[in-house]
Amino acid sequence: MSSESEIVQVRDVVKDFRPGFGIRKKRVLHGISFDVMQGEIFGFVGPNGAGKTTTLKLLMGLIRATSGTAKILGHDIGETAFRREVGFLPENAYFYDYLTGREVLDFYARLSGVPSRERANRVETLLDWVGLSYAGDSRIRTYSKGMAQRVGIAQALVHDPSVVFLDEPMSGLDPIGRKEIRDLIIRLRTEGKTVFMNTHILSDVEMVCDRVAIIVEGKIRYQGHTHDFLDDGEHDCEIVVSGVEPELATQLEERHGAELRGQGERVEMRVAEKKVGAVLDAVLKARGRVLAVTPQRVSLESIFLDAVREEEGAQ
Amino acid sequence: MKAIERIWTIGLNTVREAIRNKLLYTLLFFAIVMIGTGVIVGSISYVEGSRILQDVGLASIRLFSTGIAIFVGVGLIHGEVYRRTIYTILSKPVSRAEFLIGKFVGLVMTIWLQLLIMSAAFVVVSLLSGAPVDLGHASALGLIGVELAIVVAVATLFSAFTTPMLASFFTLGIYMMGHLSRDLLQIGANSESASLERITRVIYEVLPDLEMYNLSIQAVHQLPIAASEVWLPVLYGLGYVAAILFAASHIFERRDFK
Repeated sequence: MSSESEIVQVRDVVKDFRPGFGIRKKRVLHGISFDVMQGEIFGFVGPNGAGKTTTLKLLMGLIRATSGTAKILGHDIGETAFRREVGFLPENAYFYDYLTGREVLDFYARLSGVPSRERANRVETLLDWVGLSYAGDSRIRTYSKGMAQRVGIAQALVHDPSVVFLDEPMSGLDPIGRKEIRDLIIRLRTEGKTVFMNTHILSDVEMVCDRVAIIVEGKIRYQGHTHDFLDDGEHDCEIVVSGVEPELATQLEERHGAELRGQGERVEMRVAEKKVGAVLDAVLKARGRVLAVTPQRVSLESIFLDAVREEEGAQ
Repeated sequence: MKAIERIWTIGLNTVREAIRNKLLYTLLFFAIVMIGTGVIVGSISYVEGSRILQDVGLASIRLFSTGIAIFVGVGLIHGEVYRRTIYTILSKPVSRAEFLIGKFVGLVMTIWLQLLIMSAAFVVVSLLSGAPVDLGHASALGLIGVELAIVVAVATLFSAFTTPMLASFFTLGIYMMGHLSRDLLQIGANSESASLERITRVIYEVLPDLEMYNLSIQAVHQLPIAASEVWLPVLYGLGYVAAILFAASHIFERRDFK
């Protein structure tokens, strides 16, 4: 490893596929490079077909790079022994449906080399973590999509890996399930594990990721810390009020530079962050009601959309 | 964990998958019914009823076992890729060769287990009908087991890179050619064309000689069987399986799982 803190190193990776029996190649990854640092949750974000899953398959040794290098924990991804330290949840994970949840975890624990004296305990712990203790003896074919996803997460962690790769981990989960998996991912970071997460759900990235890379059409268009865009200086605020008389509207526009839309029972206005206090005072004094105050920060969504538009413009 | 343990884990899981697959029970049931029909055929025959019973029994065992071996073998790898179960397995410290050999071992164990059940049915039916059962029958059944391992290896090879449909055509083709390869060699030797002789010789060398695994006639007619008629095919089978699995692993190693 060139640096102790780099858990994943991807350098100039190109991947070409040959569709069907055709001679022409289709380039899916155009020389991508990025690092994932120890102990962070790294969000790999992109629209459908951007190359997220291809990148993950490449890191898991399921496909071979046309050129470039990729390393995990300092090992070339073609090696297998180091995978004892790697956990992987594929997108829409599928397991042997004739096995029970407990048997599936035992199978993966055996393959990962978990010693027999620890295996049973480890399986029970993981079933408990993902909330499936009650269904451990039911066959996978009876599981809902959300339950299967939880088994997928459990098998990725059953051997206590130091780095975990998750492909759309919230896929198929209801809001409560998503919250639980988010909490689980954050818990992994607390335990010092590194998490690489493929997703297109931007709110999840904003909530859990430390750093993010945006991939569009096989090219990395943005890399940065999540706090770079969450705490990006001073922003406007969107305020929604009701009971605004014409005189108050004029006052808000002229004195505080507010941009108003609508009138009467629902008025929306955009004001500078530093003017929010004065505007709210003025509204309350005039017996108006404040319905909502929303900071208008630069969101991952806007960065994401800019990256996609930039790529579309380049084509 | 050693490679052998990982192969064993994958093999046992493959056996468990097969044991819980109801379709295989159906095929096994029909095989036993076919062995049983030998009693009827033997009873309506005027001559050598017990021999006809055993002929039908051994032929049924060979037919159904080979059918199951091809039917399950050709989907062995494809099913794992199609269902994406291979993704999670190869993300563990398991090499592709270990995975492939583990699947092969598991299917061979399953096929042998079924062969054991069919053989038990064959012995029961034979004894109930007063037909003799001796070491010759055991040798014939044992060599069917080795032949099945070769068929599974060939099915695994094709399953490693093509669809189940094509793999079943190819495997069935190799199986049939394997039983005809001695005749082909003879045709080449009898011909006056040197090139035809060379071609038939190459085909004979490359394809498995499966006719050496057919001791049914000797067993049923209680003809003497030399020890070399058993151990030579076993050695040949081990070598052939090893070569096929080596080639399959090599192809599988280069494959992209899109």
